[in-house]
Amino acid sequence: MQDFHYFDNAATTMISDRALEAYESCCRLHMANPSASYAPGRESKAFLNDCRSRMAKVLGVQADQLFFTSGASESIAIVMESLLWAKSPGKVLISALEHEAVSSFIPLLKEKGWTVEVLPAKGGFISPETLEAKLTKDVRLVAVMAVSNVLGTVQDIDGLVSVTRRKEAEFGRPILFFSDCVQAFGKAELRLSDWALDAASFSAHKIHGPRGVGLLYLKKGQIQSLSHAGGQEKGVRGGTENLPAIAAFTVAAEELAQRDDEEIRRLNDIVRTGLEGTKYGILTPREGSTPYILTIAGPLPSEVAMRMLQDRGFLLSSGSACSNNERGKAEAIFRASGFAKAAGGALRISFSHDNTPEEAQLLVEALKEIG
Amino acid sequence: MPKQLYLIKEGEISLKGLNRGLFEKRLKNNIKDKLRPYHSTTQRQKGRIYLFVDEDCPRERIEHALATTFGIVGWAEALMCEKDTETIKAKARCLLEKVDTSAMRTFKVVCRREDKSFPVHSYDMACILAELVHEVHPQLVVDLKKPDLVLHLEVRNNAFLYTSDRSGVKGLPVGTAGRGLLLLSGGIDSPVAAYEMAKRGLKLDCLYFHAYPYTSDEALEKVKTLAATIAPYLNGTRLFVVPFTEGQLNIKEKAMPDATTLMFRASMMKLASSVVRTEGMQCIVTGEALSQVASQTLAAMSFTDSMAEALVLRPLVGMDKEEIIAIARRIGTYETSILPYEDCCVIFSPKHPITNPDKAEMTEHYATLGMESFIESALQETKIYSYDANGEATGVWDFSTHLERDQH
Repeated sequence: MQDFHYFDNAATTMISDRALEAYESCCRLHMANPSASYAPGRESKAFLNDCRSRMAKVLGVQADQLFFTSGASESIAIVMESLLWAKSPGKVLISALEHEAVSSFIPLLKEKGWTVEVLPAKGGFISPETLEAKLTKDVRLVAVMAVSNVLGTVQDIDGLVSVTRRKEAEFGRPILFFSDCVQAFGKAELRLSDWALDAASFSAHKIHGPRGVGLLYLKKGQIQSLSHAGGQEKGVRGGTENLPAIAAFTVAAEELAQRDDEEIRRLNDIVRTGLEGTKYGILTPREGSTPYILTIAGPLPSEVAMRMLQDRGFLLSSGSACSNNERGKAEAIFRASGFAKAAGGALRISFSHDNTPEEAQLLVEALKEIG
Repeated sequence: MPKQLYLIKEGEISLKGLNRGLFEKRLKNNIKDKLRPYHSTTQRQKGRIYLFVDEDCPRERIEHALATTFGIVGWAEALMCEKDTETIKAKARCLLEKVDTSAMRTFKVVCRREDKSFPVHSYDMACILAELVHEVHPQLVVDLKKPDLVLHLEVRNNAFLYTSDRSGVKGLPVGTAGRGLLLLSGGIDSPVAAYEMAKRGLKLDCLYFHAYPYTSDEALEKVKTLAATIAPYLNGTRLFVVPFTEGQLNIKEKAMPDATTLMFRASMMKLASSVVRTEGMQCIVTGEALSQVASQTLAAMSFTDSMAEALVLRPLVGMDKEEIIAIARRIGTYETSILPYEDCCVIFSPKHPITNPDKAEMTEHYATLGMESFIESALQETKIYSYDANGEATGVWDFSTHLERDQH
């Protein structure tokens, strides 16, 4: 990997040194199963709870509102699957920006009698007005991701939740507001306790933590999941806790506070300014987006541009596919955001603190060279 | 070392006249090639080949070899013994005891007495063996029309016994009809075209145009997998990989937008003709089917045909997509062909390709593109990947060494 300039940090990040140390030391110091009743087991349990408390501090919530999972996809699945317990299906509102981890539930929900409506995302934003117009009495769940992984646009979660709460009071029936916060964690303002949302999902490996661990935030501290398994995590997510990964995740989350967004903004600016007057268009609006994600559209099919950039030592992600059957995943999101024409040439540049201004400049040169 | 014995039935070969020996020799060698490094010998007798293979050769390997070799109509695992009624009965009992007849209800005995000096007549021998079948599997009754189990006895220089008779891929042995060059794209059709031509005895190598970075390395890997998959049917093959990015970009730059595909096809024919000439081959084979896409209309094929300097064979020209897919599934190429790595980037595909080109006009247009130098340098950079008769990759060479040899 050292031979590459890595600009695909929205896909995954390099684990931080301290997180990796925490992983290893936990493996050695807390090998016992937290469910075991002997002393080392109880120590593991105490360590697990300590991690939870530290994570709660980072997120500004209560420890008993947090549940460790195997990743954001599982956190999302727990929320979406909880709908299947409903005696009579109602309506679900899902934003057009959602990751497949959310949108892939649409066919299942429909099969089980639910009505699913997609919230349009003009320019990459879901407006509270649009949501308000769609909030009818039968809506049981609203899912809007906090930051788009495709475009980097930051959603007005506060505004969207407020509209939902107002309607909820009007209808006299609860509406679950869920936000996938994977790309927001460490990249945008996150005020879980102020926002009054009901559930949120997080992932460790997007913030320099390890793979295979994530987090589910539940405001009320409970949800009816499909399986309790061994009853761990209060039955919300059963299965032996991945303690070393949780320890590393916690450290990675604590490290976020020391990171300076200004550095990233500078990198973002280098690329934005560097591409002015070239054949590249910038899809990610400067206002209202995280500086960590910058999606552009060039003259070449994104797949081809990616290969050319890879040959020049740059790794980034294609917004969509040029000529393969996998097309459609991100393309649908571009279409819904009003960028249908640019989708074929879209490239997502995603930064981390491992990137340097020199690298960003080199990327600009490489983009100009191939475009 | 004890041997495993297989009886092989030749089909069309047995109808050949004076050349028959050549066909049989080729078939024999093709089978032996696939069984290497295991040792095997053959005996030929009136429309039959008896194949003796070393005991340590895995059975699946032998069966795969026989199931993928053209020129074989049917084959069966057999037992050989002395031409003596009692010995035959004893061997037949061994064979029958191994057969699971729990799902069978009927049987038939077929005897062929090629050696007329054998004292017991076919009918009588059939009765003797039928009694034996009844004794070993009492629930089976005779049904001459649709038997579940058939016991065969052939009396020749020895007596041969076999039960299940598996169907082969028929056709003529590969290598008996000359050599050709297949344009392999990565799609569903071209591997099927290779199969169809190999079935008629044509020895084939494959040619693929790679346009990296406009087409991906995964697309190239996919084509290599396809070449390896069809290699057993072709009794080994070579894959010529032509880097044609510069040529494609030249076409995109200079050709009329709607004619780019046709100009690319014309370049392919020109380049393939060079390879055919250098390698001493006699034809080009494509997977085109009439009117499947814009470049496969009658007028388009007529134009591309005129650009080739060798005979162009299109075995799928009158076939329906469904028929082609059925064969692709049978020969195991379908799953690879449908992988989502395409052989041509969208930027080289015109939105409204010409479907009814004027041959003279297109020929003239092609002449203005100056493709010769691009073809020449692409040939210099061409790599050859080879696959043996079992589909194993055996090496990579530079085509340029062949070109030099050709010039000397």
